[in-house]
Amino acid sequence: MHILKRLVKHRLALVGMWVILAFLVVAAFAPQLSPRDPLKFSLANKLKPPSAEFVLGTDELGRDLLSRVLHGTRVSLMMAVVSVALGLALGTPVGALSGFYGGAPDILTQRLVDILMAFPGILLAIMVVAVLGPGLWNTMLAVGISFAPTYVRVVRSSVLEIREREFVEAARAVGTSNLTIVRRHILPNCLAPLIVLSTLQMANAILWAAGLGFLGLGAQPPTPEWGTMLGRSQDYIRIAPHYALFPGAAIALAVLGFNLLGDGLRDALDPRLRGRL
Amino acid sequence: MTRKTLLLACVLLVGLGAWAAPKPGGEMVIGFGTDPESLDPNKITSAPAGMVLTHIAETLLLMTEDLKVAPLLVENWTISEDGLNVLLYVRKGVVFHDGAPLNAEAVKVNLERFRKSTYAFLLFPRVNTIDVVDEYTVRLNLDKPFAPLIAHLTHNFVAIVSPKQIAELPEGKDIAEPVGTGPFKFDKWVRGDYVRIVRNDNYWGEKPYLDSVVFKVVPSDATRLVLLETGQIHAMMRVPPLDAPRVAATKGLELLQIPSVRTIYIAFNYQKAPFTDVRVRQAINYAVDKEAIVKEILGGVGGVSDAAIMPLVFGHSPQEPYKYDPEKAKSLLADAGFPKGFKCTLYHPTGRYMKDAAVAEAVQAYLLEVGIEAQLITMEWAAYLAFLRKPVNEATFDMFMLGWGCVTLDADYGLFALFHTSEWAPVGSNRSFYSNPTVDSLLELGRVAPDPTSRKAIYASALKTLWEDAGWLYLHYEGQLNAQRTVAKGLIHHPREYILAHKAWLDQ
Repeated sequence: MHILKRLVKHRLALVGMWVILAFLVVAAFAPQLSPRDPLKFSLANKLKPPSAEFVLGTDELGRDLLSRVLHGTRVSLMMAVVSVALGLALGTPVGALSGFYGGAPDILTQRLVDILMAFPGILLAIMVVAVLGPGLWNTMLAVGISFAPTYVRVVRSSVLEIREREFVEAARAVGTSNLTIVRRHILPNCLAPLIVLSTLQMANAILWAAGLGFLGLGAQPPTPEWGTMLGRSQDYIRIAPHYALFPGAAIALAVLGFNLLGDGLRDALDPRLRGRL
Repeated sequence: MTRKTLLLACVLLVGLGAWAAPKPGGEMVIGFGTDPESLDPNKITSAPAGMVLTHIAETLLLMTEDLKVAPLLVENWTISEDGLNVLLYVRKGVVFHDGAPLNAEAVKVNLERFRKSTYAFLLFPRVNTIDVVDEYTVRLNLDKPFAPLIAHLTHNFVAIVSPKQIAELPEGKDIAEPVGTGPFKFDKWVRGDYVRIVRNDNYWGEKPYLDSVVFKVVPSDATRLVLLETGQIHAMMRVPPLDAPRVAATKGLELLQIPSVRTIYIAFNYQKAPFTDVRVRQAINYAVDKEAIVKEILGGVGGVSDAAIMPLVFGHSPQEPYKYDPEKAKSLLADAGFPKGFKCTLYHPTGRYMKDAAVAEAVQAYLLEVGIEAQLITMEWAAYLAFLRKPVNEATFDMFMLGWGCVTLDADYGLFALFHTSEWAPVGSNRSFYSNPTVDSLLELGRVAPDPTSRKAIYASALKTLWEDAGWLYLHYEGQLNAQRTVAKGLIHHPREYILAHKAWLDQ
């Protein structure tokens, strides 16, 4: 309750929350909100500027840009959720066990994570896509995999701190098994950093997925995906700037929303900042 | 008064003369989209590579920009009555960049080396043996008459390099820095960035004005245009068609529309169901609105294909178009047993041909309307060509997009390599594994037929069969949309998709 109250007081976080809420509504009702079928094309209507007929104009095949941007919300949010969930699912157990047990396995995993983190994340994602081939699902897999090292790190550092606390000691004293201790006592206490990280990673996931799409490695045509649209639009930027503007604005807004919320959540969840907000 | 006028006229003439006289010196930069895959005449397979090579290593005969065969390293030729012996009279007084003289022996060495080339079919196996008759005469001995031979000798891949270079080349190595007889000498090649050539002061013909020429590789059409507008390059290939009006209206820039001999098509895997069914192939031809693609995506540059070769090529005859008719396509698909369509893959290059990715996406959208769900897959150019060079039992594609420039302007070159059964990949360029006995025998006949009239009739019937058989999804033939800065003078924009700097100069 505390946290929510503090979050609500955090004005920028509130803005972020509303933005994300708006995107969620759009994603849920994209077919109802779209004036046209996002795949319906008509070459004669190509690259039309915004007008009453096509509110955001059309793309190079004469498809309605508004409908495509609205449907793109669905694709981008789904990609973000799936890849963050994947990163979380891959990274958390590894980080928790590595931190809890320590010793040689810990050193080994951490050096492995060092190697992975030495690559910029997007490069790692490109590498994964290069191996698996382009496409929507492979993009999610690639982004998810490249998120995992960060989760390993964050979870491990929390576990290192928590495992020394008295309640863990107490649990051990009454004979609770290690696995149960990790599950029941340690992981729930890592929740705060994980929530913050995941919110911020949502923003990254949208950006990376769009980046892969921009490079032609992400969602494949005719899927309406913001990054892919932006990539296609660059050939026409001089004659049809609206084509680049709207998918670009959608990406920027969604990323901004998650970043603002993530920042707010971090402030709200940080005990050291308690009372200052 | 009269004398004054005369004087004025003289001054004006002199002034004009001085203004129009080519100025020597300077470096011209030409922007193009694809890095050459090689500069070894035996290894090159694409127009961009041919464009660079032809400045350095010349051919025996020349295809001029108005598409006529003219002498070059061979001054004259005669063909025997039975068509089995061709005498080539080599130009005298020509030396290679390394000082070696051009003579009959040098020509023979080059042609013999060409036997192992990717494009060996241009001469071989029809040419059995090559004889050196005297120092400047070469005789080609054929096993059968071969009508397109003279046209083939203009092909830029049959370029002549120094016999010294060939002799010194280690076994299994390719020529990296060609030594030819051309107006320019090879200087430097930074892969993926540029090729630089410098003036050959000992050129046998009219010497070039420029000190050097740089062929700059800029894959993105839009970026290349920006480089031209900001003056970083002097000329460019392939202006994005929708930008053309803006370029034409820009001061200091010239927009040029030149014909091309390239036909763009989507081929089927002819040996794989459902494309083995002629109804399916015809349905796909009816399903796609080629007129709209040419008008809206290509900005009207080029034209809708009415045969497997484009109208400028000898042997072309127009066929009844497959008019856009999705209903007819659906009923043909239903007849073939696919009332709900099917799923397939469509491979296409990105940035190799004019708006290739956008055309592929439009085709995908049209096919979806008749129920055919085509998955688009694009690849980098070199990987793409390698992917499409697999033998029939390893080929995994359903459809692919490719272009073929019929650069010899003879139907044989545009058809034999692409449709004859003996040319199946990986041996030749029949990458779709097309096979039709009627077409095979017609194409063979076209090669040995004695006179142009009968050849024309033979190709007319071959084209008709190919058309009715829907051997391809016939798309369009390209036009070239190039641009140059007004300071760039004397450049030749060739229908073979070359920009030639032989006689170019910079007015600055």
